[in-house]
Amino acid sequence: MNIVLQNLTKIFPSRNKKSGEEVVAVNNFNFEIPDGKLIGLLGPSGCGKSTTLYMISGLQKPTSGRIFFGDDDVTEMSTENRGIGLVFQNYALYPHLTVKQNILFPLQNLRGKDKMDKNAMLDRAYEAAKLVQIEQLLDRKPSELSGGQQQRVAIARALVKMPKVLLLDEPLSNLDARLRLQTREEIRRIQKETGITTVFVTHDQEEAMSISDMIVVMKAGIVQQIGKPQDVYDDPANLFVAKFLGTPPINVFSGRVQEGHLYIGEDRIIDVKGVPDQEVVAGIRPEGFVLSDGGPLTCAPVNVEVMGRDVSVVSTHPASLNPLVRSIINADNRIELGDSPVRYAIKPRKLFIFKKETGERINFEVK
Amino acid sequence: MSQSVMKVMQGRDLRKTSARQKITHILSQAGIYLFLLLMAAIVLFPFYWMIISSLKSLVEYRLSPPTFWPMQALFSNYADAFTTASLGVLFKNTMIVGLVSTLLSLVITIFTAFAFARLQFKGKELLFAALLATMMIPGELFTITNYATVTHLNITGTYTVLIVPFLVSVFYIYLLRQNFLQIPNELYLAAKVDGTSDMKYLWKVMVPLSLPTLISITILKMMGAWNSYIWPRLVANDPEHRLITNGLRNAFTDTTGDVNYPVQMAAVALVSLPLFLVFVFLRKYIMSGVSRSGIKG
Amino acid sequence: MVESKQQWKAWLYLSPAIVLLLIFTVWPIINTVAMAFMEDYSGLAKIGGDTAFRFGIGNFAKVVQNADFQQALINTVLLCVISVPISTILALLIAVALHAIKPLQKALQTIFFLPYVTNSIAIGMVFAAMFNVIGSVGTRRPLISSYGIVNDIIRFFGGNWVNWINSGSEHWANMFVLITYIVWNALPFKILILLGGLTGINKQYYEAAKVDSTPRWRVLTRITVPLLSPMLAYVVITGFIGGFKEYTSIVGIFGESMGPVHAKGSMNTMVGLIYDSLASNNQGRASAAALILFGIILVVTLINLWVSKKHVHY
Repeated sequence: MNIVLQNLTKIFPSRNKKSGEEVVAVNNFNFEIPDGKLIGLLGPSGCGKSTTLYMISGLQKPTSGRIFFGDDDVTEMSTENRGIGLVFQNYALYPHLTVKQNILFPLQNLRGKDKMDKNAMLDRAYEAAKLVQIEQLLDRKPSELSGGQQQRVAIARALVKMPKVLLLDEPLSNLDARLRLQTREEIRRIQKETGITTVFVTHDQEEAMSISDMIVVMKAGIVQQIGKPQDVYDDPANLFVAKFLGTPPINVFSGRVQEGHLYIGEDRIIDVKGVPDQEVVAGIRPEGFVLSDGGPLTCAPVNVEVMGRDVSVVSTHPASLNPLVRSIINADNRIELGDSPVRYAIKPRKLFIFKKETGERINFEVK
Repeated sequence: MSQSVMKVMQGRDLRKTSARQKITHILSQAGIYLFLLLMAAIVLFPFYWMIISSLKSLVEYRLSPPTFWPMQALFSNYADAFTTASLGVLFKNTMIVGLVSTLLSLVITIFTAFAFARLQFKGKELLFAALLATMMIPGELFTITNYATVTHLNITGTYTVLIVPFLVSVFYIYLLRQNFLQIPNELYLAAKVDGTSDMKYLWKVMVPLSLPTLISITILKMMGAWNSYIWPRLVANDPEHRLITNGLRNAFTDTTGDVNYPVQMAAVALVSLPLFLVFVFLRKYIMSGVSRSGIKG
Repeated sequence: MVESKQQWKAWLYLSPAIVLLLIFTVWPIINTVAMAFMEDYSGLAKIGGDTAFRFGIGNFAKVVQNADFQQALINTVLLCVISVPISTILALLIAVALHAIKPLQKALQTIFFLPYVTNSIAIGMVFAAMFNVIGSVGTRRPLISSYGIVNDIIRFFGGNWVNWINSGSEHWANMFVLITYIVWNALPFKILILLGGLTGINKQYYEAAKVDSTPRWRVLTRITVPLLSPMLAYVVITGFIGGFKEYTSIVGIFGESMGPVHAKGSMNTMVGLIYDSLASNNQGRASAAALILFGIILVVTLINLWVSKKHVHY
């Protein structure tokens, strides 16, 4: 089932009645979430991603705009009736119930024609437990489980009523690094197996990029860009998106366009035909640097960080907006840094220019 | 002081001190135990005296010097006490009042605490502050008008008058609300997602999670009924509705002089027994409830 | 988080409590204050009381001038001022001692809590029995068959027996019995609170004191008591409040005559006086007395808070 968000807006009244201003948490969000896909809502904290998720769940009511599940307008429908599954950041397992009872809980709430008999409920619970591989934990209490196991129980509880929509709120943030990698694969697998339309919220761009079919990048309540992870990475709509995606982050420089050339400081980097003269911000992905004796970008070397497969060359440049310029170089050949400047050639597809005032992307033709 | 001298001093001092320390430690521990056991004996003495007196014959009780163990245990005192004070009726009345008022009080407390902990409504903070403020006022101030009220309503001498005026306890509401607030908000949201109504969430999640507090409240409330004296004497001191404490006081009006103490002590022991049993089995809940309350009953 | 537009639902949950509170808590506050200023008002027209009244502070004047009230006030203040410090210090010593031992700690803790779960009338009767003298007391040549266990113990140690509560007993002896009972009764709660406080104190303070080889007594007065001061303040304040509302202990020991046979009412307290006024169908005077009691409790509590603010160390 697809989910349509139409002009979705959420405004929180200010806490302080006299002086405070109201907060626009989500501003005019339009998106159609395709059926059966895994969507990552991504952004820094306070960008409105969780609010959006909660509006889809019905736990929060939009100030304006509409939400459709398929053809049904669910904007006014209360959470209980939406038939969604939601996994909370801290899992919210009922501490006094066993794993089995936790998973059964949503089924016991079904009324009317959906009402199930005991055996059917048990079957369904076992099925869900099997899907997340916790069959052997069914009689334990949540306090006797590790974080990863609790997470699985929470997913099983969300899945057991076979929701048409599965929502995950920062599902991995409480797990340690190794478990996080493992669990995100797991989520991907479960989503693929069940084919449930899934929306998950995260502030970790790597997490979002690695498992989502599509990502939505948000900032201050406004959607910045929607697209497949690779597309968004390769073709960011603005400086914010370019900076938010990618580790190590993109290197940004103040630059200017003059007579069809891009200058960073005094270095003339590449041709940008058709772009009018102006001050710009230039962003270069770390993997966009190529060591080249005749290269146009000249940096002062600081040190070399060996990361195994790759090598990161850290240097400085007077026009850099960050203290350090970080490039990632294929480690086939050893790199010895002397005191002499390092010179880089730049891969044109890994370089983006943005308007200085708005951060809006300026497109140019790559030869 | 040179280093070698210091070393020598330390060596000697340490050996001596550690021996002295051991002795002081043993002595002080012995002193502490002595003090505690003495105090415990004093604390327990009235109970001991109550029980042995209740088993003596009147003649033995009057002996001077007294006996510290009954020469012959006279259990008939208990039977006498039971009939003299008609304890059967008193037990029954007190159980009825105690059970009904505890049950109703729990329901009201749960609903009220739920509203204050979980629901949003205008004036919530103000109303709660006002409730807490009433806790400072001594109960006697309420009793005066409540006495007039129940007289006007013509419900004196009924179970109702013993139950209804004390159903709402601000303190219990406060206690339970604090407990409810500790339950994370996500559980409520999760229950919403799972399709649960407020009412069902309250009974299936919040109440089970607050069970220790609810048990504490139940015990304290039951003890309150068992020990209440002033209000029942004022409004329902007739034989059909009289409660245990009043019954005890009414049956044995004389406390001094040549009273039949063995029977009186037997009655006192019978009245104390249920409290004692509750204490033995539910000590944990009583102590945790009391340490947060500071109110008796 | 969840925007519940159903305000009515909250009020529905609250309604039973609110209705009962309005009748049995809010109305009494208003009415009692009003009645206190209504002179010669009984409030119980139904059972033949007088309903004609005029406003004034006559009730307060009558209460304050009443010799019984003065006696009750002296009794109440006396038993507070004596019993609260004694029970607090004893409880502190017991709590500290309990905290210092390992074997038997739980068992002793249980024993010390036992007096809490008692019926104060019932155990008051036990205390009366322990102090009671059987025989003709108060006559010129007393003929005693039993001195009572307390006197027996005194005599065993070579002391003279005392007429504690029988006819002809003196006021101080009555007071002694009462205060003994009140202290016995007040210990469990205080021990519980103080022991709870002690377990909450960070062990590092004691380890630091040990490193500095601080003597035991100094540890108690310089570390334990200051760190325990919030709990001490709490038990003192609740002790005073409880003391000012003392009533059933006296009924337990002396019966409803509130005093030994020859001096009925001599052991009466503030609360007892309020109920006497009620029983004699004088609601106005009862209300005035209740308000005075409330005022005294408030003032004493404020003084306590003020003192503890100066001395409570954090």
